[in-house]
Amino acid sequence: MTARDTTNPPTAATAALSKKGLGAGTVGLVGAIVIGISCIAPAYTLTGALGPTVAEVGTHVPAIFLVGFIPMLLVAFGYRELNSRMPDSGTSFTWATRAFGPWIGWMAGWGLIAATIVVLSNLAGIAVDFFYLMLSQIFQNPSIAELTTNPFINVITCLAFMLGATLISYRDMQTTQKLQYVLVGFQLLVMVFFGIVAFIHVGAGDAFDALPISLDWFNPFAVGSFSAFAAGLSLSIFIFWGWDVTLTMSEETKGSASTPGRAATATVVIIVVLYLFLSVALINYAGTGTGEFGLGNEEIQGNVFFSLAGPILGPLAILVSIAVLSSSAASLQSTFVSPARTLLAMGHYGALSPKFSKVHPKFFTPGYATIVSSIVASVFYTVMRFISEDVLWDTITTLGMLICFYYGLTAFACVWYFRKQWFSSARNFFFQFFSPLVGGLILGVLFFTTIIESANPDYGSGSNIGGVGLVFILGMTIIVLGIVIMLVQSRLRPDFFKNRTLARGIAGDSNEAEAALPE
Amino acid sequence: MRYVVGYTDTSSGRDALALAVRLARTTGARLDLVLVLANEARPTLVPADPGYEKFLRETAEGWLAQAVAAVPADLQATPHVVYAESPSDGLLEAVETLKAELVVIGAARGGILGRFSLGSDANALLHSATVPVALAPDRSGEPGTDAPISRVTCAIGTRPGADELLAAAIGATRRGGVPLRLVSLVALDRPADPAHPDAVARAEAHAASVLEEALSHLPADIAVTSEVASGHRIEDAVTTLEWDPAEIVLIGSSRLAQPKHLFLGSTAAKMLRELPVPMVVVPRDSSFTIGDLS
Repeated sequence: MTARDTTNPPTAATAALSKKGLGAGTVGLVGAIVIGISCIAPAYTLTGALGPTVAEVGTHVPAIFLVGFIPMLLVAFGYRELNSRMPDSGTSFTWATRAFGPWIGWMAGWGLIAATIVVLSNLAGIAVDFFYLMLSQIFQNPSIAELTTNPFINVITCLAFMLGATLISYRDMQTTQKLQYVLVGFQLLVMVFFGIVAFIHVGAGDAFDALPISLDWFNPFAVGSFSAFAAGLSLSIFIFWGWDVTLTMSEETKGSASTPGRAATATVVIIVVLYLFLSVALINYAGTGTGEFGLGNEEIQGNVFFSLAGPILGPLAILVSIAVLSSSAASLQSTFVSPARTLLAMGHYGALSPKFSKVHPKFFTPGYATIVSSIVASVFYTVMRFISEDVLWDTITTLGMLICFYYGLTAFACVWYFRKQWFSSARNFFFQFFSPLVGGLILGVLFFTTIIESANPDYGSGSNIGGVGLVFILGMTIIVLGIVIMLVQSRLRPDFFKNRTLARGIAGDSNEAEAALPE
Repeated sequence: MRYVVGYTDTSSGRDALALAVRLARTTGARLDLVLVLANEARPTLVPADPGYEKFLRETAEGWLAQAVAAVPADLQATPHVVYAESPSDGLLEAVETLKAELVVIGAARGGILGRFSLGSDANALLHSATVPVALAPDRSGEPGTDAPISRVTCAIGTRPGADELLAAAIGATRRGGVPLRLVSLVALDRPADPAHPDAVARAEAHAASVLEEALSHLPADIAVTSEVASGHRIEDAVTTLEWDPAEIVLIGSSRLAQPKHLFLGSTAAKMLRELPVPMVVVPRDSSFTIGDLS
């Protein structure tokens, strides 16, 4: 407030105006579940992650999906603790900086931004595949679906999608709640229908390569090797990525204090049941062999629904295309928000150019940060499309690694930040110490295992450059690039790196308010 | 008396503020700078992020503080950040809460040669406001354009029934101590009809008689002139008139409007596109006065 303001003491009317816009239509239980499912985007996630996971663990996908939820849940508890203590748009960046200081904080922010940029390019890539598949279904001309394999057409279409998503984010255009409900409901119904029809084919005996369901599929200990187990796990962390948002909605959900917890639980139950149902259905239908539609076929693993929708649903396959397209579109839009906001926070605290902290005066979005994220994601996709034979698969695997990196750092930041109050209550012990510590350790192990394993040229899709696995090169390039940019920034903007803008601290210290909303 | 200024940290926001300052200089109103942010309760694809909302609010308060600092010291100005479904909703709620008598907004970018081009927000306001809406043309907020109001022009339709508008114009004229000009616009979009060779003359005569009627009802203490302008279209008629950069134009709301609400009529909308000066659209049946009538 300015000095001028003191000449105008606030009247009742002025006070009434400055109230926050909360109240009227705040998110309810169903709304929170819809947002949660929309952020996870199960149709998109499963088509991208099922193939690579089968490649790692074979028929044990259901087991890995179940186990993969555990580290996610443990870390999400820590995430929630930090979010309620220091709500800040920089999330992992801000929290890790507060706990461990500027260098580690910077890298955590970098990890988050890199992960979201990689997923943006993967999302747009999947959307391109399904866009041409849908066109070919509409015009009943299979050759249209082939267009997506032409790298030039593919890249141009992908850039067009990115441009659309950028504009929507930049201008902060929102769909109505009703449309969101319809899209999420449609997505879930189509996925269930897809699974049921797959089972019907198995029952009728005309499945592609029927593999009888076995309890063994649900046994994580039956996975052949630890490295396969770890690789599968890091992929299954990706499929739950985005779920944590439902846990942090406490601020704006209406109803009782238990609404966010119930919403998060309901969301994850729906998602887990759907994943298990669909993965069992598809393995049951197509087996894990390397035949034309087998889930072990490397040709189809980057995007399994793309290949399986036709044989399973016949003319109704277009429903799957629409579901995946709408799911990717929603996810593309919600995913755009996080790198932009983290970049904004980094600009604001002086860890990056202050340009990143500019808010668009009319649309009230982090405009500059949004455009930069979009350009980087587009360039990343274009380069990847030309150097990788299996861009979708490789990006998903890299993504798993990056999520482990920044989520792991966030979990440890939670443990360290609350170090003085671990034992002050059983609740603190569980949510601020035990859960994030165990979750962080699991993610840490996964991260290092994936790095070591991925150096092998046969890892994942088998893409490699000069005999070194492409996923390893990608992951290392991203992390080393982050360190280099960080060192450059530390020269350009020493204030942040000398702890002057966002001080390192501990729960309850005097600096906390700097990064937290007043209660 | 309070005026609500729809402020954003853009050149159209600064246009609005500059016009509001000029009007307030004339009438002594105090200014309420209102910046409307999206309601957090609206449906979004991502959950609201309290950290970002806080950052946004601080940024908005910073913008408003700068704007308030730019207001000349002899005028009162108060900043407000409000939350609403849409910018026009937010401004109308502010008008109601603050009991303001006028809303000032900037026309959106993109108008040709600095004229008006209405954005969807301005349009929404012009079709629902309960108080007069003043529109600042593009780039009118640039330095050197802060001359006091030099004249009030009031556009009278060719049909009778603009009493409120006239009353408003008289009030504004008295308050500012400036002359009043009444204009009547005649558009004849067809080529001269051989059967009615005198159509133009008759239309102009009719317009003149409406003006005459209006003039005869004016109080004697006002310096008033009147003009009839004609052209193929309303737009052409507008351009034939001489415009003083420092004047403002008052036009009435459409007869389609509900009582006490604005509804931008087609003539007004056409005028908007051509006018190089600020324009105030007055709602039907409004008891509005830019100055105090009574």
